Amino acid sequence: MSESCGNPAAETDALMARRTKFDRSRDCVKCKTNTGNIVIRHAVYCKDCFTPLQITKLKRTLEPTINAASAAAKGPSRNKLRADGNLAIGISGGLGSTVLLDLIARCYYSTDGSTKTKGKGGTKHPRNNESIWREARVFYIEMCGAYPESASRDRTDEIRLIVEKYPAFEFCPLRIEDAFDPAWWARVGGRSPEKEHAMGVNLASEDLLLGSVSSPTGSPCAALRAYLSSLPTATATQSAIANLTRLLLLYTATSTGSSHLLLGTTLTSLSIGLISGVAVGGGFVVREEAGEQWAPRGGTSASAVKIVRPLKDMGMKECAAWAWWNGLAVVGKENVSGGRQGIGGLTKDFIVGLERDYPSTVSTIARTCAKLAPKAAASERCVLCERPAQKGVQEWKARISIRSVRDANTDASQAAPPPKLNPPHDGHQLPPTLALTPHLCYACHTTFTSRSSRSAAHLAKGVALGAQGGPVPLPAWVASRMHEFGSGGDSAGHAGGDKEVWQGKQMGAGEMQAVVGEFLLEE
Amino acid sequence: MPPRTCGLCNNARAMLKRPKTGQQICRDCFFYVFETEVHNTITEAKLFKPGDKVAIGASGGKDSTVLAHVMKALNERYQYGLDLFLLSIDEGITGYRDDSLETVKRNQQQYDMPLKILSYDELYGWTMDAIVEQVGKKNNCTFCGVFRRQALDRGAASLGVDHIVTGHNADDIAETVLMNIMRGDIARLGRCTLICTEGEDTIKRSKPFKYAYEKEIVMYAYFKKLDYFSTECIYSPDAYRGHARVFLKDLEAARPSAIIDIIHSGEAFEVSEEVKATQKVQQTCKRCGYMSSNDLCKACTLLEGLERGVANSAITDRARKKLDAEGPAPENLRTIPFYHAPSATPNIAIAINTP
Ligand SMILES: [Zn+2]
Ligand SMILES: [Zn+2]
Ligand SMILES: [Zn+2]
Ligand SMILES: [Zn+2]
Repeated sequence: MSESCGNPAAETDALMARRTKFDRSRDCVKCKTNTGNIVIRHAVYCKDCFTPLQITKLKRTLEPTINAASAAAKGPSRNKLRADGNLAIGISGGLGSTVLLDLIARCYYSTDGSTKTKGKGGTKHPRNNESIWREARVFYIEMCGAYPESASRDRTDEIRLIVEKYPAFEFCPLRIEDAFDPAWWARVGGRSPEKEHAMGVNLASEDLLLGSVSSPTGSPCAALRAYLSSLPTATATQSAIANLTRLLLLYTATSTGSSHLLLGTTLTSLSIGLISGVAVGGGFVVREEAGEQWAPRGGTSASAVKIVRPLKDMGMKECAAWAWWNGLAVVGKENVSGGRQGIGGLTKDFIVGLERDYPSTVSTIARTCAKLAPKAAASERCVLCERPAQKGVQEWKARISIRSVRDANTDASQAAPPPKLNPPHDGHQLPPTLALTPHLCYACHTTFTSRSSRSAAHLAKGVALGAQGGPVPLPAWVASRMHEFGSGGDSAGHAGGDKEVWQGKQMGAGEMQAVVGEFLLEE
Repeated sequence: MPPRTCGLCNNARAMLKRPKTGQQICRDCFFYVFETEVHNTITEAKLFKPGDKVAIGASGGKDSTVLAHVMKALNERYQYGLDLFLLSIDEGITGYRDDSLETVKRNQQQYDMPLKILSYDELYGWTMDAIVEQVGKKNNCTFCGVFRRQALDRGAASLGVDHIVTGHNADDIAETVLMNIMRGDIARLGRCTLICTEGEDTIKRSKPFKYAYEKEIVMYAYFKKLDYFSTECIYSPDAYRGHARVFLKDLEAARPSAIIDIIHSGEAFEVSEEVKATQKVQQTCKRCGYMSSNDLCKACTLLEGLERGVANSAITDRARKKLDAEGPAPENLRTIPFYHAPSATPNIAIAINTP
């Protein structure tokens, strides 16, 4: 018997009380003289009070991350903000990042580099001093390579025009397919690109066996498309693109000596990210979703970059008002085709709808998630998303959903043997150099293996997506990392596995099959 | 299309597509994996020890009917050595509980388990019908939830049972994770994915179906030809079904593993240490002895409101203030009998104190 009678409203009394659009007065709650221009979560503000309010919110989020050391210091240096490295701003062309760019320029750089700011703020004001960051770059990742079918346009030049309005920023365009480009990987300090390029993963089994890409496709764009089209669900495609974007930004930001990577995530998009992160199994990194410190493997904390979301207290509505009142042109993001069918798109629809009817829900979500911490220490770093990963993920999955004979036979003491199951083969003992699965976090493994009921039917017919063309290419950092495992260059303290398997040469798909044949499920 | 063979045994003809994995498998393999997953859940959490007296919270609905069946089967197959009971709550909803209680009574005979039925009427002096008459249909589910939880504990105490298993399934838990995030209930968020909860002096409660999909529970009942009473509570109108539930169904349609993935997320995080330090400590209700985070437990607060004709006092602040303004509770107020944990006294009287 369920404790509740099936009516979620039973426990929601405190939540979601619909409220009137604004409380009583039409006057600004701040200055109490002007007529209000905007309602933010039940409070009315005028245009004059709105601007400083947003700037305060931004500074409150960003500045404590800048120099913890001197912020704790006493004396005159206390208020002087000085970052350890350069500034990187990630911009998508969407509303949030467009507003972020404007706010950062306005707060920390003089927009025309001349007289405009004189007399304001005094000499101590950062604008009149050296900048907080020595150099400032704006990174834009062109996404059109990921959506060949929608014939989307290349927006690089439109974004360039916007960024060039701010003389303090250097525009640095990237492309989503760079994740598969040895040239980009070498540029950000990655190792031995030629060898890594050919490594791929076979998505036919849950072990995700490694292999070499049978017909080297040549262009990074073709590799990207092979990778994305092999994924089993729309959800997986969305997660994969978000992950590629994040790591392109992180690797590029650290390679340019950045201490801060700022993203235009609004309160609304943060809530969407948090809920969809939970829905795809990423609860372990719920903190990272709101803000994280990241360094490449083997990097010191001095080389780490902090991802900060300075707009995380600003709702979509406030951003729209800022853009409107300041005449900002918003290029717009790539409209993801088929996005609605995926968990990311569904969550977006859900949260945006909630925000409209119950304006406080989005901030409640963000506040709740900020109170959470991972339950156990991370065992290592996932090779795909390069975030902390939990131990025992595969054992958990095998226990909770029995998907193969070997899962069913994990309990040796069972009194009732399964009905005529085939002899077990234990894939958990696959050498770690042969399969990707042992190196993935829960969410990334799920991205590769969780199917919709439609794609599962495909699998049963032996025409699994991804199984068709053999191994599919992997992003540069994954290939590089797996290559290190194979050649014994293991810095993370893994059991080295069978080092001789790799011996610096790539194995053909046929050879691979021969080595692991006994571990493979019969189709 | 030629018949497909089972994806698990590669032998029998595939009969169904598993809602949880999308795999096409035969009927026997389905029974086997469904039961084994529940068994894995039980053994991994070390829920029971031989000789435990366990009450199955039975409503006559699909979850608890299948739970009773599976608990009996696993208890025999794996020699858990459990003493199983059925425990039912009669909320006093005409036309709803009457039929489902018949199902429970049939289960009692089929499974040869002792049955205890405890009614809101005998425990609180109020049936849900009477409560709805006073408070209307809007907030009655608050009463029902609070009253049922306490009634189960009290029923279990009267049976001398030390463990209650309930039919909460994976869908329920995933939905609760989402709801608790959205309403900012950090204390419940930390607890809701636990398989077993145990207060200091309360009866253990656990959820062996924690990882079982609602659709598979229905499928299991269907193939095993189990009869259950399928109806929604008549006091819980559709408009109230909640955004989280609809959202969860959409997520499941997009990717069936979403339900299990949300539970995995919920198990992976906890309330951070800094926040824990600020949480309220659990105490007992000054009036009835049941665990509570305030002086009065929720059931006593609700009951006082009902008795004094201010039924919404536990629901809205304004109503609570109105109640407080009327002064302290009168001496002759009807209350719930004092609660004694089973360790203290194995049997408690379940008579209502009428002055
Ligand atoms: Zn004002
Ligand atoms: Zn990962
Ligand atoms: Zn079978
Ligand atoms: Zn009480």
